[in-house]
Amino acid sequence: MIHFHNVTRSYGRKVAVADLSLSIGPGELFALLGPNGAGKTTTIKMLVGLLRPDSGTVRVCGYDVAQSPREAARLIGYVPDQPFLYDKLTGREFLEFVGQMRGLPSTLLAERIADQVSKLELGTFLDELIETYSHGMRQRLVFAAAFLHQPPVLVIDEPLVGLDPRSSRLVKDLLRARTAAGASVLMSTHLLWLAEEIATRIGIVDQGRIKFLGTKDQLQQLLALPHTSLEQLFLELTEGNHQPADTQKHHCAAADAAPPGGTEGRAAELLGTAGQGEADCRGPYETPGDKPACKPDGDAPLPHRSAEAATGSSAPDH
Amino acid sequence: MSTLIAKPGDLLTPQAEAHAFWLLRRRIVVARIRQLLAQARLRLSIVLVLSTVLWFGLFGLFAEGFMFLDSAVPHPQWREQIVQTVLGSFFVALMLMLVLSAGVLIYGSLFRSPETAFLLTIPARTERVFLHKFQEALVFSSWGFVLLGSPVLLAYGVISAVPWYYYAMLLPMVVAFVYIPVAWGAILCLLLIRYLPRGVGILLALIGAAAVLAAAVLIRGLITEMQSELLTPGWLHQMLSRLRFSEGRLLPSWWLTNGLLSAAEGNWSEAMLLLGLLISNALFWQQVAIWVAGLLLRPAYSNLAGRTAAYRRPHSAFIDRLAASVLCLVPRPMRLMIIKDLRLFRRDPVQWSQFFIFFGLLLVYFVNIGSFSHSLHYSGWVNMVSFLNLSVVGLLLSTFTTRFIFPMMSLEARRFWLLGMLPLGRHAILWSKFLFAAVGAAFPCCALILVSDLALRVPRNILLTHQLSCLVLCLGLAGIAVGLGARFPDFREESSARIAAGFGGTLNLVLSTMYIVTVLALTSLPYHFLVAADQAARTFAHAAPHPWMAESLRLQLWFRLWLIGGTIGGVVLGIATTVWVMYVGMRAFKRWEL
Repeated sequence: MIHFHNVTRSYGRKVAVADLSLSIGPGELFALLGPNGAGKTTTIKMLVGLLRPDSGTVRVCGYDVAQSPREAARLIGYVPDQPFLYDKLTGREFLEFVGQMRGLPSTLLAERIADQVSKLELGTFLDELIETYSHGMRQRLVFAAAFLHQPPVLVIDEPLVGLDPRSSRLVKDLLRARTAAGASVLMSTHLLWLAEEIATRIGIVDQGRIKFLGTKDQLQQLLALPHTSLEQLFLELTEGNHQPADTQKHHCAAADAAPPGGTEGRAAELLGTAGQGEADCRGPYETPGDKPACKPDGDAPLPHRSAEAATGSSAPDH
Repeated sequence: MSTLIAKPGDLLTPQAEAHAFWLLRRRIVVARIRQLLAQARLRLSIVLVLSTVLWFGLFGLFAEGFMFLDSAVPHPQWREQIVQTVLGSFFVALMLMLVLSAGVLIYGSLFRSPETAFLLTIPARTERVFLHKFQEALVFSSWGFVLLGSPVLLAYGVISAVPWYYYAMLLPMVVAFVYIPVAWGAILCLLLIRYLPRGVGILLALIGAAAVLAAAVLIRGLITEMQSELLTPGWLHQMLSRLRFSEGRLLPSWWLTNGLLSAAEGNWSEAMLLLGLLISNALFWQQVAIWVAGLLLRPAYSNLAGRTAAYRRPHSAFIDRLAASVLCLVPRPMRLMIIKDLRLFRRDPVQWSQFFIFFGLLLVYFVNIGSFSHSLHYSGWVNMVSFLNLSVVGLLLSTFTTRFIFPMMSLEARRFWLLGMLPLGRHAILWSKFLFAAVGAAFPCCALILVSDLALRVPRNILLTHQLSCLVLCLGLAGIAVGLGARFPDFREESSARIAAGFGGTLNLVLSTMYIVTVLALTSLPYHFLVAADQAARTFAHAAPHPWMAESLRLQLWFRLWLIGGTIGGVVLGIATTVWVMYVGMRAFKRWEL
């Protein structure tokens, strides 16, 4: 569902992301780890369309994010590390706006809001102005907005910042549920225990380059450090004692006979070559139930079809 | 209604998208109004009353001006020509200022706002995101026009007894006119950010320098090398000829001026034609701006995010070392706070670019105004112009203290986790802000007044009086802005422009204006009256004895008393205002709980 193909992005002379190739399939919760300034947020911003790669392509369900940002955005639920909320709206009004923008019909939108209110326990404050919310309440509202259209792709930057233990538990359960329903989740975090607990695969980036892709077990094997915590493994890897990039990726792929998450072709994904068969995505609300589809579908929009072709016009109404 | 309901799986139609954004804006506006009515009725009332008083004051002033024109220029053709040229020049200046301010506003709201980042990650059309911000810029950049322009145009209508359709066409014409420069500003901003993403500060400085240079050429062309004596028919003719640049038929300002004047003269068909021209151009340029945004907004946004920060040397800059030397007697914690604020000012192009543009324009004007003093015949005018220059500097300074100094305390609240934990008294924080504002204002303002007075060759005593007045103004205005900033902080708002536009900012502007008027009336005005009375006495001394002679001498005595009392009173007022407002601010600041 998510594909980075030879993606490079620089800030002036500083290369933030260097030749990144990565695929994340359905039902996979991928944790992107790395020290500060490693390129995690840049990677995420390219995925959600805020930044454009200098070279390479980022695709979401087959849509090139730089060429078709609306189509890609429709399929993504995004929780940034510093989310923006309209202080003068109530939580319900904010969810209604997001839902409307995602094309949810009003009856379905009302149902979805009620569902999120129940799941994220927003009921007590949903009709108050957002400016009165605590940090945790705001964070839960942002999650509700991201889950509202049941997207096949979730992108989350530091999911548990400012959440109390109960809210953290709620969010973790929701992420697990979405993953089990077939969604692809890309999560960036500094909380290694969180990655260890819920991620099906991890990627460690440092200085813009992928240093490892795989599972914790594979990392233990790679570093020959069995029974070692992810924290220790992370520090070993990012302190520069081990050779990075391709050799490790290949190693992980070869070792990935039965990866957790259990999607076919995982080894190929680890090598960044998978995803051709899942290029077409249906809209998030087209699929029956909660399970997002990311499979070829005759009625679905073609992967490279432009926004204008799909909607008939590119000019907004004034 | 069917278009408003999106089919599952479809992206929103333009109509549905427009509806969603309209609903969003309506809800936000309604929430704000409800909150204002529920929590800040007194503040709202004060702002409304002050705005109404200001509006009617301006209306009365302009009505007087048009009546004076009617009586002083009896020939209707001349009068018409003067009105056309003055309105034309006013709208040309306004158009250029709207281009600049819209460009700056669009830059801030489109490229620096977290809302844009949010909107670009939901499936909204890029064009819609731009239009949402464009409409905001349109409102923010034109409210000043409504406040200042509407009394001029309505006063003209009332005094000239125009037909009803002049008033009916006023609003659509003005709104259509405003759209055009705002769209130009937006297009310019998008093009610059897309293709020149590096060094936005340098870019703004270049634009400012170009604006100052253009103004310098214009001002020099207007007020120098006049062949005729001031305020004579020949002078008027020359002045009108030099302002002909505003009569270019391709300028939207010309369409607006002539459209309004045609309506005023009863030529409704011509007025309708020009209204149609304005509306069609407004729509055209808005569409071009939307089209450009559709192409450039996302790449420009991405480019700007990729801009590298300028390399900063680890040691302090020359200006910081200079500031540290100048402030060597100030306690070290306060000195460090001041240097910190100086760094923040230097690294914020919005602040220093506006500061340099407006003070640069004044400098150009003051340097060139010396041509007035070449003839002794104009000494009365020189006296008055030098006084008006002092007033203009004071008023300009008050807008800067309102816009940039007043919000400082509110913005400092965001850093209070650090400042509050430092071994630093709250009084030190407040006084450091005061010193920063007072010293930072005194240097350029006193220098400007010095340039003006030297160019006008005013007597030494007037020059000294002006310097004293300027110092008192700087101290008081800095005290008012810092003290009120601490007394009426806004902890929620992140934008200094919005903090300044709130209740506290409005109160700051009004009190600052009252302070300027009082100080000038006490310290500088009596000296100007004294000089005028002295000149009158000298004129009468050459003539035969006249009863006015005795009256003039008696007036001189009164003016001398006023001057001595006023100077002492002005200094006392300046100190008392500063201390009192700072005391009020300090008391409030000590109660801050963050």
